[in-house]
Amino acid sequence: MTTVQSGSRTTVNVNGTTVEMYSGGSGPPLVFFHGAGGSNGWLPWHEDLAEEYTVFVPSQPGFNGTEAPAWVKTIGDVAHFNHMFIDALGLQDIVLVGSSMGGWVSAEMAAMDDHNIDALILVDAAGIKPRESDIAEIFMVSGETRLKQRFYDPGQVENYERYTRELSPEEQLVVHSNAIMASQLCWKPYLHNPSLPYTLSRVETPTLIVWGNQDAIIPVECGHLFQQAIQGSQLRIIDNCGHSPAVEKRGEFVAAVTGFLNSL
Amino acid sequence: MAHELEVFWFSEQPYGHVTESDLEPYESGRMHFPNTHFDPEKAHVLYGNYHDQYQLADEVGFDGIMSNEHHSSYWCMKPSVNVDAAVITQRTKKAKIAMLGNVIAVNDPVKMAEEIAMLDCISGGRIISGFVRGTAVETLHAGYPPTENRPRFEEAHDLIVKCWTQPGPFRWEGEYWPHRMVNPWVVPIQKPHPPVWFPGTGSPESVIWAARHRYPYMNLGSLLDLTKQLKGIYHETAAEEGYEAGPEHFGYLIRCLVADTDEKAQEIGRTFLWTENHRNRGPMEFNDPPGYQSREALRIKMSRPLIGTGTMGRRMSYEDLQDAYNIIVGSPETVTEKLRHIRKDLEPGYILIYGNEGHMPHEDVMRSVELLGTKVIPALKEG
Repeated sequence: MTTVQSGSRTTVNVNGTTVEMYSGGSGPPLVFFHGAGGSNGWLPWHEDLAEEYTVFVPSQPGFNGTEAPAWVKTIGDVAHFNHMFIDALGLQDIVLVGSSMGGWVSAEMAAMDDHNIDALILVDAAGIKPRESDIAEIFMVSGETRLKQRFYDPGQVENYERYTRELSPEEQLVVHSNAIMASQLCWKPYLHNPSLPYTLSRVETPTLIVWGNQDAIIPVECGHLFQQAIQGSQLRIIDNCGHSPAVEKRGEFVAAVTGFLNSL
Repeated sequence: MAHELEVFWFSEQPYGHVTESDLEPYESGRMHFPNTHFDPEKAHVLYGNYHDQYQLADEVGFDGIMSNEHHSSYWCMKPSVNVDAAVITQRTKKAKIAMLGNVIAVNDPVKMAEEIAMLDCISGGRIISGFVRGTAVETLHAGYPPTENRPRFEEAHDLIVKCWTQPGPFRWEGEYWPHRMVNPWVVPIQKPHPPVWFPGTGSPESVIWAARHRYPYMNLGSLLDLTKQLKGIYHETAAEEGYEAGPEHFGYLIRCLVADTDEKAQEIGRTFLWTENHRNRGPMEFNDPPGYQSREALRIKMSRPLIGTGTMGRRMSYEDLQDAYNIIVGSPETVTEKLRHIRKDLEPGYILIYGNEGHMPHEDVMRSVELLGTKVIPALKEG
C-alpha cells in the first residue's frame, strides 16, 4: 500500500514518454482518465476518494503536460498507451474510472484486457453511438456553447468561475493543444467506435455506469447501451445533472462510487 | 533576366442573386445557408457570362486566367477547379490557366495527377497547377477530420509530383493512399511538370512551405503591411534553402474594377462588399476547427508575431479598403496609378485581378476586362 501527499504533481516515464500525473491518498489504486477537454488536475472529488484509495490522475497522451507519441492516433492507441502507463507504475488490481472520452478509453482498455482491473466505473462515457438521438457537436461550436452543454445547472457547480475566467496565453495554448488531440482522436467516427458494444461482451470486471440524466452532450440512452453491452453492470442515473456528475453532483457521485466499490 | 510582370484575370463566379436578408437568419454563411436558395436556371446564365469574361480576357491581352474551387459557398459556384479549367482551355487560346487550386488533401491524388496532366495536354502546356489546403469548410464538407488536412496535403502533393515525374508503374506505401501499383497513362506536356503555385492569406506556415519547395507564393489579398512581412518570410526561408527569391516567386491578388470614369467605377465597385460580413460568418471554431492548424503552425505563429492583419475579422469601409489599396476601382488612369503603387511596394511577379463580385452587371464587368486589357495592363507593363 502506497501513501502519497494529496494532489501532488509528478511525472512518470512510460516507454520513453513523459506522463504528467497528480496523485494522492492511500489505499488500493484508483486511476482516473479525463475527458476530451483535458485534465483539470486534482479536484475535490479526487480528494474525497483519496480517503480510501490512492488516486492517480494522469494526463493522457497529447493532453496538458503529457507528450503525444507519434504513434498514438486513435482511441485504441490511447487505450494501449494507458495500459503501458499502469504497467509502468506497477499497479495491480486497480479501480479504473473514466469520464466522457476517458470513459470510452477505459471501456476499450477493459475490452482489451481486464485481468488487472478490479472494478470499472464509466461516467457519461463516449464510445457507443446512440440510436434515438445524436451525440452533440463539441468541436464546431463556440466555447460558450460547449460550457452550456456541459452543465445542467451552473449554480450547482463549485467554483464555476474557473470555467468562465479569462485564460492566460499559456493556458489558452494548452486548451487549444488539448482540442487538437481530442479532434485527432474523436472526429471520425464521431466520439464512438462501432465495434465497442460487441468487444465489451468479454468484460468480466464488475462495472458501474454513472450518468447525468440531463446530459446534453452524450444522451443518457448511451448509459443504457453500455449497461446492455457489459454483462452484470449496474447503471446509476443522477437526476438534475449534466455531463459531469463528479463536478455538478459531487456528493451523490462520490456516494455512488464508494457504495458500489464497498459492495464488491 | 528580370521576370516580366504577368497579369491574370480571376472570377470567383459568385451566385450573385443572394441577398443580405437571405443570409441573415442562418448561423453561418456557408454550411448552414441552405442550397434551396440556388436556382440552376439562373446559374446556367451566370456560368455563360463568366465564360464570356474568360474569353474576352484572353482576347484583350491578359497573360492568364486564374480559377479556384470552394464548396458549400454561395459566393463561389465552382466545386471543381478542374472542370472550370477544362472550360477555359476551350474558351481561350493563349492565356495561361492558373488553378489555385485543387484541394488535394480531400481528393484522390492519382486522379488529380491524371486530370491535371490531361488539362495540360489539352491546353498545350498552359496549366499552372496550384495546390491548396482549402478553407476548413472544404475539409468539413468532404467529411475528413481537420487534423488530417495537413498530412494528407503533404502526401497528396508528393504522390502527384511522383505521378508526373517517375515512370510507372511504381509502388506507394502512403499513410492515406496506399497503392501497390500506380501507373497513370496521361502525363503532363510540360516537363518536368506544370508549374506549382501555393496560395495563402495570413499563415506564415504556408509561406515557409511554399519557399521550401521553391513554389511561387500567391497572397490572396491580405493588407499590404502583412503581405510584406509574409514576403519577408519567403525571402528568409529561400536564403536558408540556398536560393534568392525574386518577383517570379511572388504574386498578389487584388480586387479591381475599371470603368470609363472614376464615378462609374466607384458605383459599380461598391459591390465588392456584397455580403462581405456573411461570407465566412459562423463561430470561430467552425472556420478553424481544432486540429486544422497544427501545433507546428501555432508554434510558428507564436514565434513570428505579425503586425497588422488580413481583412478578415476587421470591419473596414469601402473607402478604408480603397485607401489601404485592398480594393482598386476607377478609370484606367486611376487604376494604373494605383496598381503601379502596389507593384512598387510589393514587387510581385504576378498580379491577379479579382475582377467581379456578387451581382455586378455582366456588361460592366466585360467593359472592365476590356479596359484592363487594352489600357491598364499595357501601361502597367511599360513601368
